Amino acid sequence: MSGETCIRARLARGEFTLDVELRTDARVVVLFGPSGSGKSTLLEVLLGLHAGTSPCVRIAGRWLDDPERRFSLRIEERDLGWVPQEPLLFPHLDVAANLRFGARRAGAEAGRALADAIDVLELGPLLARRVDRLSGGERSRVALGRALASGPRALLLDEPLASLDLPLRARVLPYLLRVRDAKDLPIFYVTHDPDEAQVVGEWVAVLDHGRVVATGEPRAVLWSRAVLPLSEALGLENVIEARVRACGDGAAQVETRGGVWLSVPAPALLAEGETLRLGLPARDLLLAAEPPGRISARNVLPARVVRLEPADDGVLVHVDAGEPLVAKLTRDAVRALELAPGQPVFCVIKAQSLRRLA
Amino acid sequence: MNGELPAGMIALTLRVAAVATLLALPPAVALGYTLARHRFRGRSLVQALVALPMVLPPVAVGLGLLWLFGRRGPLGALLDSVGIEIIFTWYAAVLAAALVGFPLFARACEQAFAEVDPRYERMARSLGASPLRAFATVSVPLARRGILYGALLAFARGLGEFGATAIVAGIVPARTETLALGIWSRIQTGDDAGARALCAASFALALGAMLVAELWLRREAPAVVSAARP
Repeated sequence: MSGETCIRARLARGEFTLDVELRTDARVVVLFGPSGSGKSTLLEVLLGLHAGTSPCVRIAGRWLDDPERRFSLRIEERDLGWVPQEPLLFPHLDVAANLRFGARRAGAEAGRALADAIDVLELGPLLARRVDRLSGGERSRVALGRALASGPRALLLDEPLASLDLPLRARVLPYLLRVRDAKDLPIFYVTHDPDEAQVVGEWVAVLDHGRVVATGEPRAVLWSRAVLPLSEALGLENVIEARVRACGDGAAQVETRGGVWLSVPAPALLAEGETLRLGLPARDLLLAAEPPGRISARNVLPARVVRLEPADDGVLVHVDAGEPLVAKLTRDAVRALELAPGQPVFCVIKAQSLRRLA
Repeated sequence: MNGELPAGMIALTLRVAAVATLLALPPAVALGYTLARHRFRGRSLVQALVALPMVLPPVAVGLGLLWLFGRRGPLGALLDSVGIEIIFTWYAAVLAAALVGFPLFARACEQAFAEVDPRYERMARSLGASPLRAFATVSVPLARRGILYGALLAFARGLGEFGATAIVAGIVPARTETLALGIWSRIQTGDDAGARALCAASFALALGAMLVAELWLRREAPAVVSAARP
């Protein structure tokens, strides 16, 4: 993939106006914001559903709409793999026929694109299944497979996990990540979930009321002061990527990217070497000035305070525990521990507070 | 004819109704789709016009057709010049049946397409299908239940068509004499037994057609026409 992505869209629909300008070299772009912020509308612009509003769309160097040249590709010419929130599998076709519907466009590459999609998303056992005989998670995978099998030149994923409950998300998200990593495709990922934004993206644009309020590296952007009220309201938490090193009795030892070992609950079968993404709410991260004695919390990590950031209802304490983490404390607690940048502390993390995201 | 089974007349009646249904199918589907998908000025007028053949006296519809397709009519003259004669042939019976069945057919199609979530069509196009291919491979299959129901209604309506048919096709035994026309001519000639036999045949055909329609509706699992909400 090469070339810049730039998007300019202005449109009004009743009370709502979208006024967006984006420019990035990132391959995986997350459009993040609360519902009604315009992120799905922006995706519709990319899809070509608002051609009448003269948008300007170039994805990874490829022009889809250029109002200056009065150029605009029709929906069927845009070669995009669209996965909406509701999978919209064709109910009159079985899984295989749904996949083939997409593959038709891939032309000579159809067979390979189809085989690839089936392989990456493990769709083999589902092929003969009727669409209404699929579970929610299977449906999402087939929708993703159909988009992939069409040999798209970019993927548009519109809240692909939002219709699934939490445990199911953790089962489908790894497939999304496999697709992300297996293909050198530009991806637009719409979500209102800060976890997904941090796990999936390399670059995020935060939308609110139809406007872009911040852009940049997801972790930095979502924890920034300007975006925090919005991202916290949507459930912002620490996201930790780790690899399973040892599985024991009800708990597993994982090693984070930063080289920190953590004990996590392992109710389901975990395989050694498997990569996990864990969520840890900032309010569940305890800081201690001295090493605690005998304590039920399984993880005690020496760390150093990086910076303090006041929030509306407390203080966010950014610490470096080998892994960058954020704790949310009351002002009172910060005063009592006399926390200041550079100060050594201990992070106390219950294994049970670490939730598997993917 | 004295009560014997009028096989030829039944065959003609079925043929007229079937061909009329096939003739009405493309415009009914096209119009139904247009009305279901597009909001345009004059839409209500179009809907009212479409319903007209159903509410007008069939005799008036027949006279209209006679004027259109008569040898000196606008369409009749044209067809006459290439040697095609419509009036007083079974083609005329087909035209009459198609026209009176059309309103039911088009309305059924409109409703069927209205129930198909347009996002499926958008999805098909995003996967590279032209509007026409999206229509043929997604919209029509998803609306097939309503379309077929409309076809059966139009067919059943065609089986019983009398007024318009009598005007444009006349009652030419063995050529244009369908069951409905046959009953009328038997009554005119005082052949009560013959009229009763034809009535019985009509009854059986109509019942059969409606039974097939009902069974079809029951057999076809309710089509999933909009995406299941989470």
